[in-house]
Amino acid sequence: MAGVTRQAAAIEGGTGLAPGRPRRLPAGPFALVVPGLLLLVVFFALPVLALLLRSVLEPEPGLANYAALIGSGTYLKIFFNTFLVSAVVTLVSLAIGFPVAWTLAILPPRIAQPIFGVLILSMWTNLLTRTYAWMVLLQRTGVINKSLIGLGLIDAPLPMVNNLTGVTIGMTYIMLPFVVLPLYGVIRRIDPAILQAAALCGASRFQALRLVLIPLVAPGMAAGALMVFVMSLGYFVTPALLGGTANMMLAELIAQFVQSLVNWGMGGAAALVLLVVTLALYALQLRLFGTAGLGGR
Amino acid sequence: MRNVIACAAFAAAVGLAAPALAADMVFVSWGGTTQDAQKAAWAEKAGLSVLQDGPTDYGKIKAMVEAGKVAWDVVDVEGDYAVQAGDAGVLEKLDFSVIDKSKLDPRFVTDYSVGSFYYSFVIGCNQDAVKACPKTWADLFDTAKFPGKRAFYKWSAPGVIEAALLADGVAADKLYPLDLDRAFKKLDTIKKDIVWWTGGAQSQQLLASAEAPFGSFWNGRLTALEKTGVKVSVSWDGNITAADSLVVPKGSKNKAAAMKFIAYASSAKAQAEFAAASGYAPTNLGSPALMDPALAKTLPDQQTAKQINADMTYWAKNRDAIGTRWYAWQAK
Repeated sequence: MAGVTRQAAAIEGGTGLAPGRPRRLPAGPFALVVPGLLLLVVFFALPVLALLLRSVLEPEPGLANYAALIGSGTYLKIFFNTFLVSAVVTLVSLAIGFPVAWTLAILPPRIAQPIFGVLILSMWTNLLTRTYAWMVLLQRTGVINKSLIGLGLIDAPLPMVNNLTGVTIGMTYIMLPFVVLPLYGVIRRIDPAILQAAALCGASRFQALRLVLIPLVAPGMAAGALMVFVMSLGYFVTPALLGGTANMMLAELIAQFVQSLVNWGMGGAAALVLLVVTLALYALQLRLFGTAGLGGR
Repeated sequence: MRNVIACAAFAAAVGLAAPALAADMVFVSWGGTTQDAQKAAWAEKAGLSVLQDGPTDYGKIKAMVEAGKVAWDVVDVEGDYAVQAGDAGVLEKLDFSVIDKSKLDPRFVTDYSVGSFYYSFVIGCNQDAVKACPKTWADLFDTAKFPGKRAFYKWSAPGVIEAALLADGVAADKLYPLDLDRAFKKLDTIKKDIVWWTGGAQSQQLLASAEAPFGSFWNGRLTALEKTGVKVSVSWDGNITAADSLVVPKGSKNKAAAMKFIAYASSAKAQAEFAAASGYAPTNLGSPALMDPALAKTLPDQQTAKQINADMTYWAKNRDAIGTRWYAWQAK
């Protein structure tokens, strides 16, 4: 599991996007960015641009697609659902992820490593497989309901799938590592002596938490939350399989436009709205917390 | 899964790099037990080396054709899409000097497509899970008499709207043009009891686990499920037929091989073999004579007494309008 620590170290130590002390590099730092930038421009920016162009050109030139998107109660509801599900998943992931990250940070590496292993291993398992597994567990005739009925705890099966509950459970499980890893990085950098100092200076446990610890982990929290929220906004497989049609999210709507109705103008318009919102959130994050927790210092 | 979009856009901007083929052509279908049967009955016997790919994706076809980099040579698509895409210029005209259409069911032949197989939406029911099985569409829409979840096909396609109208008492010969308002009103009455399936494998899982003890299914998937030992009852009352078609995307690099493949796949023998393996009906009128009579009797083409043929021309014309409304209703 040496790889795990290296990964954690990489998250901790940053990716070199914003080095703390710029070192003199022979070619200047910008030259190092060129290959990556080129790759992104050719394989990401241009195709996205092409799709966005379609949204104002197809089927007729103009903003009709956007008018249709914003003018329809159904599509607005799907936008709302997308944000609702993403927000719920983000909150639940943070609530579960923070204690995990905290525990991992204070445990001796011998014990923390296997736990990390489990966390990372789940990330390497196919997403579709994991989603189907949840379906089998959660459905009315699934393992959980059958056990609960068998134990006499419930009379009728609990509806845990094809609704918000199912989506939240499935997505939180998938997102957990993306919360734990940045938080772990931030918590590891906190000197435990600081908390002792707070106690010595007369802070109660609660005050130490509120005034000392939380401000210190806030950037990591924000980074994890942003990552989960943004990833959730574009999620497709899990909501499609574990949610009902009434909790449809934007990605599925885009897929319907692109694959089933072959209406790329509308697909492009919906994609642009999603992109703009995502970038706005990222900008907000940078304003509030800088690049801390996102790999920089 | 944003890669659906990314991939489509990427295809449009950069062009899909067709893989270096060590094969004569690529055949694309819907996966699962159906594609397995197509592979065994057609691809392995057509005298060509055929690469399998999938699942069928209309967005990808559009992207490939627009980019001029077509990596798929023969695609199994829904009948209404075949009609619409042919009119939209996305498909190659078929070469009927290679493909013999004299024996093919004329309902499923256009300049751009021939029938691949035809299937029925039937009422399937897991007998071990419920006391009584619904026999008609009206039964399936009656939640008082038959409480429980019912499975229906999620995508906008012929089948569910027709079933709702039949359940509401519309006469089979008065279905078209579809009265959408009436259909959605009827669907509203069971909306909270519907579990949607997006693909054949998922429909089998829902029925076998009794997550949805009954519903509307592709008949061939029930045949396959029965073979695994699940006690399935099938009601053909008011079964709604629709066909899949074989098409060639415009700009296919292996057109000659594609025509040869379609010629074989639509032949009496190949159609008979696929029908025997899949439980779907052959589109070649010479096939039933080649089949075990006991087996032939179980296929959709023999269930004409209580059969409704979905109107592909109507659907091709109204595909987008119905689809937009369908998905909006689902998301409500």
